[in-house]
Amino acid sequence: MNPSTPTENEVTRRGFFQLTMGWIAGSFAAAATAVATVRFLVPNVVFEPAQRFKAGAPGDYPDGSVTFLEDERVFLVRRGNTFRCLSAVCTHLGCTVNRSEKGYHCPCHGSTFNADGNVESGPAPRALTWFLVTLSKDNRLLVDKGESVASDKYLIL
Amino acid sequence: MKTPSPLGLWAWFAGTRVGRSIFRVGPPRSNLERSQAMVSSFLLHVQPAKVSRHSLRASYSLGLGLISLYLFFILTGTGVLLMFYYVPSTTQAYDRMKDLQFVVSAGLVVRNMHRWAAHLMVAFVMLHMCRVFYTGAYKQPREFNWLLGVGLFLTTLGLSFTGYLLPWDQLAFWAITVGSNIAGYAPVVGPGIKYLLLGGNTVGQEALTRFYALHVIVLPAVAGLMVAVHLFRVRKDGGLSRPDEPAEDAQSIPLGQLPTNKSYGLMELARGTTPQVGRDPDDEVFAWPHLIFRELLLFLLVVAFVLFLAVFWNAPLEELANPIHPPNPAKAPWYFLGLQELVSYSAFWGGVVVPALLVTALALLPYLDRRREGVGRWFARERRVANTVFSICLVIAIALTIVGTMFRGPNWGWVVPWRTPPAMTQEH
Repeated sequence: MNPSTPTENEVTRRGFFQLTMGWIAGSFAAAATAVATVRFLVPNVVFEPAQRFKAGAPGDYPDGSVTFLEDERVFLVRRGNTFRCLSAVCTHLGCTVNRSEKGYHCPCHGSTFNADGNVESGPAPRALTWFLVTLSKDNRLLVDKGESVASDKYLIL
Repeated sequence: MKTPSPLGLWAWFAGTRVGRSIFRVGPPRSNLERSQAMVSSFLLHVQPAKVSRHSLRASYSLGLGLISLYLFFILTGTGVLLMFYYVPSTTQAYDRMKDLQFVVSAGLVVRNMHRWAAHLMVAFVMLHMCRVFYTGAYKQPREFNWLLGVGLFLTTLGLSFTGYLLPWDQLAFWAITVGSNIAGYAPVVGPGIKYLLLGGNTVGQEALTRFYALHVIVLPAVAGLMVAVHLFRVRKDGGLSRPDEPAEDAQSIPLGQLPTNKSYGLMELARGTTPQVGRDPDDEVFAWPHLIFRELLLFLLVVAFVLFLAVFWNAPLEELANPIHPPNPAKAPWYFLGLQELVSYSAFWGGVVVPALLVTALALLPYLDRRREGVGRWFARERRVANTVFSICLVIAIALTIVGTMFRGPNWGWVVPWRTPPAMTQEH
């Protein structure tokens, strides 16, 4: 540790390569470990209920009704011959909205939505999501929660 | 015959062959032995042999950091006990909580202690941070220890959050739902983090497993390590901050002129000063007994207080988690209610931007505020600007918490605490 040694601060070719290779190898090892760890924590298979579900026969829903389907956390809306399905999950932070006189309100942070699911007030950034409703081959309503549609898209029977 | 005192008994045992092999030093009788007692014991050598009178003054430190540490010990102990009964399963967790309440001997008290100690730890870590701020104790050379403190504050919040999710009651379920959704608002990485936290798209078994692993091993390990470094740094930075501290470079000794008659010469080579150098010896007292007995007394007080709370008040347990209906109003624990009030205006600004800015400001504080005046005194006049800014932030945080606690009712609507809220209607 004598500071007067002349070679102390001199960069030799060997030293330069050793240092460079060391840093490169070390960085690669660290990066690979980090990537593999994060990737390990991202599940490849999730055991969750299917996004598509059958909501019963159209006749189960009286004209003009809005029915809350608990297990699926959606509202099934029938008006005349038209069927729509509205998500009951608040777009703010994921609480379940309740029906109100004018539409829907969220108990957690007070967002309110009109009957079309559009935000009336509160912190919700987007309208509630409408899901695609089709009719299955055995004449049941088929809702796909993976497929969002515009609020004016109906299943007409 | 003389009545044997505990110290007498210890003195006798320390004198035996076996006792000497364990303790080396018995109950110290001279100043030399007082130093040796501190240095030769694994548990005691973390602490200095001598300590400044200023640091012992309860009115200066209020013992807040030490109380936080003791609460962490209580939480570790009771937490390990709870692990013997708890099962991190969405179908079993809640029943296990009921078992702890009604079946397991002392289960209720252990769970109550764990919950109340957790609340207290959040409170005392916050108070400790306020103390360090108002006495200017984060300044050079203690910048990094403040940074560790900020990390410990966040880890404490993380431990509390992951902890109250485990009973799988209504509070737990909707806290995970709201919490993971807030994470989802972070720019770019948000949705990825949410998926990673939940282990999927919905709140269920995977999420519970993950938060359990975080709560019982990952976060306690991180906290334990940071506590160790935090305490180590308190000593290496010269003990608690004092008004009469010499500047860091005041005692540095040029290389090659190290005194040869001092055993701590190498320490001086490694760092400009040792805690002892340049200090008036009359200003310091031996850690044994002055510091040790104060610490033991405080530990007893903390344990007694937590036990008192646990015996007379039961920790809350809400209804079993119901993924269909959040409680109305759905309220977080008190330390997150200010945040909940903020996100009720905007999830992105209140849940991501404001907290991120606050944490960044806290972390950068000691590197931005570099003036050396007013260290080691409460509310020093020289620090009027810094104290005012900090106080304003503190008042806002407290005001938001009070609003969230008392002025918010069903549907997060405004209520006044002295009037019963309008009858709640559940429509569906």
